[in-house]
Amino acid sequence: MAEFLQYSITGVTVGMIYALIGLSFALIWKSSGVANLALGGLVLIFSWIFYAMLVQVGLPLWLSLIVVLILALAFGWLIERFCLRPLIAQPILSLITVTLGLEFFLEGLAVFIWPEMVAGLPPLFPIEPLKIGPAVVSQAYVWAAVISLILFGILTLYFRYHKMGIAMRATADDQLAVQACGIPVTSIFSTSWMLACVVSAIAGILISSISGLTHGLVETGLKAFSVVILGGLDSFIGCIVAGPIIGLAENLGSGWLTPIVGWGGLKDVIPFIIIIVVLFIKPYGLFGEVRIERI
Amino acid sequence: MLRLNNIEVTYLNVIRVLHGVSLEVADGAIIALLGANGAGKTTTLQAISGLLHTVEGEVTDGSIEWDGERTDKRSAQDISKLGIVQALEGRRVFGHLTAEENLMVGAHHRSRAAAREDLEMVYHYFPRLKDVRHNTGGYLSGGEQQMLVIGRAMMAAPKLMMLDEPSLGLAPMLVEEIYEIINRFNSEQKTSVLLVEQNVRIALSISHYGYIMENGRAVLDGTAEFLSNNEDVKEFYMGLSAVGKKKSYRAIKHYKRRKRWL
Repeated sequence: MAEFLQYSITGVTVGMIYALIGLSFALIWKSSGVANLALGGLVLIFSWIFYAMLVQVGLPLWLSLIVVLILALAFGWLIERFCLRPLIAQPILSLITVTLGLEFFLEGLAVFIWPEMVAGLPPLFPIEPLKIGPAVVSQAYVWAAVISLILFGILTLYFRYHKMGIAMRATADDQLAVQACGIPVTSIFSTSWMLACVVSAIAGILISSISGLTHGLVETGLKAFSVVILGGLDSFIGCIVAGPIIGLAENLGSGWLTPIVGWGGLKDVIPFIIIIVVLFIKPYGLFGEVRIERI
Repeated sequence: MLRLNNIEVTYLNVIRVLHGVSLEVADGAIIALLGANGAGKTTTLQAISGLLHTVEGEVTDGSIEWDGERTDKRSAQDISKLGIVQALEGRRVFGHLTAEENLMVGAHHRSRAAAREDLEMVYHYFPRLKDVRHNTGGYLSGGEQQMLVIGRAMMAAPKLMMLDEPSLGLAPMLVEEIYEIINRFNSEQKTSVLLVEQNVRIALSISHYGYIMENGRAVLDGTAEFLSNNEDVKEFYMGLSAVGKKKSYRAIKHYKRRKRWL
């Protein structure tokens, strides 16, 4: 039982980070309808930059955080300005393909700059473990979950009440009409990319502080895709619900179910089985925006 | 005061759709821009609002002046800051936003307090919007959506409001209601209105001056009274015979009336 609880808690908290990465996907999808396939690459590169600042350059923690966040903002702006803006008014598939190219580029860049493959981050959070009932959980998990939840709250409020957030949602509906209101859609797009990069940077830092820094972090991008597909591509609440589901399925699968069933690959398959079943029942995902059609 | 001097508009550098259109919108006036499909009415509006750049069109000749300043090379964003706002054709509401959020997008560049005030003003003109303000835009009725689009243009506190076919696809009663509101808004807020319309009768009923467009040219202009009494306008745009009565099929002519302006 203690084991089950333990796996559940770590699963849910890791799932929160997946949710955060999913959030970064939803941000861009919501405003421009572009599926950002470079998620994993972004998470990877920002975690390594953080490592470089904190360990290789030796900056204090708060300063490295600030540097990474500023770089993330700049990076988001650059990506939008030079990779995506030239393709405005082109078929959406070309834009998505560009993000795929970006993914490979970032992956290669990370390997090129940091060939060491594996690195250890010094602990960011207090190391003494927390006792929750019979389970023992490292504090990093709990902190990661809390930070994810806070970010989720901030972004939700921003999209609901801030005029820039409202304009971003409007852009997803009708770009020309947004321009007719005197709002340049290009600034909307760069804002959403900048926000998305910041969110992926934070997610990358959190996840690498938990499970170590490798080039395998790219895979979290894939996990985040399962999260957004399960939650509904454009839904924040979908991310925050689907993230823990995926994390839970994965962790229970690996730690608890695998010894019983005796099949090692179960862990990677369970999330996808869940997705398939859910999509059969709810084709837009759990909380996806249903396309509005007046009859 | 808006003045178009002989503008030519070309799409994709090859397709010329306006061949020298001149028109004037005096401060506080309602001007109607009338004509059949493909005459260039919407293109004229887009040239004024700057949206032309996003649909790969360009003003290749002539000039557009707003209070003496040239605007034809400016971006849509700059032009909107001058107080020129266009409400697009075809009830383009933001489907997933609530009615109130739709309106707030219109007031993007204005302070929160000013937007709140104007929200009340829009609800004053369109009381029906107040009732549905928390409903999703995509699920509103056609009339409510049209009101929403006009209201969104009002939220920008425009000096010139350009409306593209506000009567499109609406029941006659709703059309009258909306036109009555446009008229009231114009006289109370002193906002100029440039009205693109196919429904010539209703457009001329509230406007002060009108232009008739055909094949990318403004072929006839005059006061609303002059236009509604013009025999060509009556024959070709209102479906009335020369005498001004409804066309009778008994007296049907087997020759086509020649337009006097050609």
